[in-house]
Amino acid sequence: MLPIESFSIYIMFCVLVPLAGAFTLLFLFVFEKRIDLLEKQKREIALESELQTALYNQLNQEIQPHFFFNTLNSILALARLDRKEELIRSIETLSKLLKFKYRTLNNFISIEDELTYVNYYLEIQKTRFRDRLHYEIQLDNHVNKAIIIPFLIQTLVENAFKHAFERHIGEALLKIKVIKIESSIHVSVWNNSIERYETSSLDGGVGLENIKRRLELLFPHDETSVQLTDQGDGTAVLAIFPHVIMSEKLEGERMQ
Amino acid sequence: MKKTDFQYYIGGAFQLGIGFGVVSLLSRWVTGNTILSSPETLIKYGLTGGIGYSLMGALALILFGILAKKIRDRFHDHQTIGDVLRERLTPRGYWFMISILIVISFHSIFVQAMGAGILLHMIFPLPVFSGMVFFLLFCFFIGGAGGMQRIHQLAGINVVLIFSAVIVIPVYFYIQEGVYPVYEGIKLYHPYILYVKNTEAILFIFTAILIGFGQVIIDRASWQRVFIIKKEKLRITFTLAGLIWATIPLALSSLIMIIIFGRSYDSIYSLLFELIGKINSTLLIVLFVLFCFSAISSAISAELHAIVTLIIKNIAGVLRPLSNKEKWGFTYLFSGAICLLLLIIVSILPPSPIELLFFFGNIYASMIVPMLYIILGSKTLPALIPLASIIGTAGGFAALPIMENILTIWISFSLSSLICLSYFIYNLLRTKLTMNV
Repeated sequence: MLPIESFSIYIMFCVLVPLAGAFTLLFLFVFEKRIDLLEKQKREIALESELQTALYNQLNQEIQPHFFFNTLNSILALARLDRKEELIRSIETLSKLLKFKYRTLNNFISIEDELTYVNYYLEIQKTRFRDRLHYEIQLDNHVNKAIIIPFLIQTLVENAFKHAFERHIGEALLKIKVIKIESSIHVSVWNNSIERYETSSLDGGVGLENIKRRLELLFPHDETSVQLTDQGDGTAVLAIFPHVIMSEKLEGERMQ
Repeated sequence: MKKTDFQYYIGGAFQLGIGFGVVSLLSRWVTGNTILSSPETLIKYGLTGGIGYSLMGALALILFGILAKKIRDRFHDHQTIGDVLRERLTPRGYWFMISILIVISFHSIFVQAMGAGILLHMIFPLPVFSGMVFFLLFCFFIGGAGGMQRIHQLAGINVVLIFSAVIVIPVYFYIQEGVYPVYEGIKLYHPYILYVKNTEAILFIFTAILIGFGQVIIDRASWQRVFIIKKEKLRITFTLAGLIWATIPLALSSLIMIIIFGRSYDSIYSLLFELIGKINSTLLIVLFVLFCFSAISSAISAELHAIVTLIIKNIAGVLRPLSNKEKWGFTYLFSGAICLLLLIIVSILPPSPIELLFFFGNIYASMIVPMLYIILGSKTLPALIPLASIIGTAGGFAALPIMENILTIWISFSLSSLICLSYFIYNLLRTKLTMNV
């Protein structure tokens, strides 16, 4: 049988635990928003710093002399051939592309916007590669307004040019696929090069690592992944992240 | 989202954080059952039983919290348990499961209403009918017609009342009476409560955990909350709700000892309400009555809201597409009809004790594995899975004449688990054979 001392402790416990429960609830009400805010701020700072790295990588990668000179040479060739329409279009596209690179400061954009700028990039590359380049973009109708980190698709496309098309002569086939599977978005960029670019190499590796880190920071509570796969007929990079609509994300942030 | 939109009725306009999530779950789970079953467990199994009862609720909510994250990940576009069942089961299986859910829902809400009836009978010298009219009208306006938003507006007040009562009343009594006289009184009148080496209590605790988990895993209201609590906070919200909930039966069991330490009792189910006779302070009487009513009314409101949503979205809405206006019309109609039915039943039946905790234990226990299969499985499941729970329940009830109540609950659980496991193995073998061919 329980002695009086243990019984007293039991009663004390029974009387005090609701008090602890009430305090926990009170604490949650008072501090939950602040804790959330601090966590959000911490994540945003990390995201911004990663975005800066991505921006730096992007500028570094593209405004490198050979891309710039090759593009200018292609534009010059158009001028010499007096192909005025194409010339105007090329200069306009290059200007829009550069503008996007300098002005992108948000941690996330819509897939629609990201693809618009990918299209500018591909148009410029088309003036360089001409009939050698064939590209195809497959986009699920439901994902237009979903969010993505800036430069995700663009980095993967640029990697394909840098590590595959620019190194080898021959047909350059590129397929971009953005689809929704259950509650996730699957972005895959496939090229017909069978030579794998090393993930440990400075450019490709840093680019993919940066994408991985930024996805983890933007979706801290969900599963994300970035995988490079050798598919026999080519090389593909698959990025998976949750499907979140732009307006929902903005509304969620406003409410927090 | 517009207030006139039926989605607003189902889930409100907000995603809940941890604080509001815990409050919402507490106002759902501190029920008439908690008030009426705490004395039952304490008297039957002693102090170990009291602790076990708290443990049961805490563990049930914590375990469901682990599943909640998975549910949200896999069925992110849904709003109710019915939506998920519809996606995962064949039409026949779906209707089986919905029928079981409706039976359980009505039983559950009926038990709460009986609790309110007993309380009214003990407090007011009026006929139960008139008190119940006001009480059920209140529940109708909050849970039935008001929807999730209205429930959440009152959930905060409910939880404040619940905690005020369970903190202030025991402190008041133990300061007034002292622990020693209570101990001596219990030793003299009810020494079995102090007997802690109670092996029966161990079996009771494990069975209670099984029932508790079964109860939460098919609770329509908890499922609705899974879809309105922020996804990243689901697990922690359920865990904290479980831990905080566990403190309430403990406080109630300490109160029971105050009531019985100097005398014997007639009915264990109305014991806690006899506290009113012991309280001298009017303020404390008001607080205690408000606590009881707020616990029962918040549970009934949540249940009522969940049943009506289930009927409209997952029964009427499946049979034929409904316009927004029709949905609202049916909402008032069904909640009104359910409240009326409860009023008639509670007024006709005498406010008598029912064996609360184990009454539907067989059903709850036999639902666990089929529900786990539904949540975690990957393909559409046949009607056999919901049927497994019915077979399990029937097996348990069939064993009642030859076995103890607690053991039949384990039989129900084992039987339904065995059927699900057999189907799983059969399915696995069939897939392998098909692949080989």
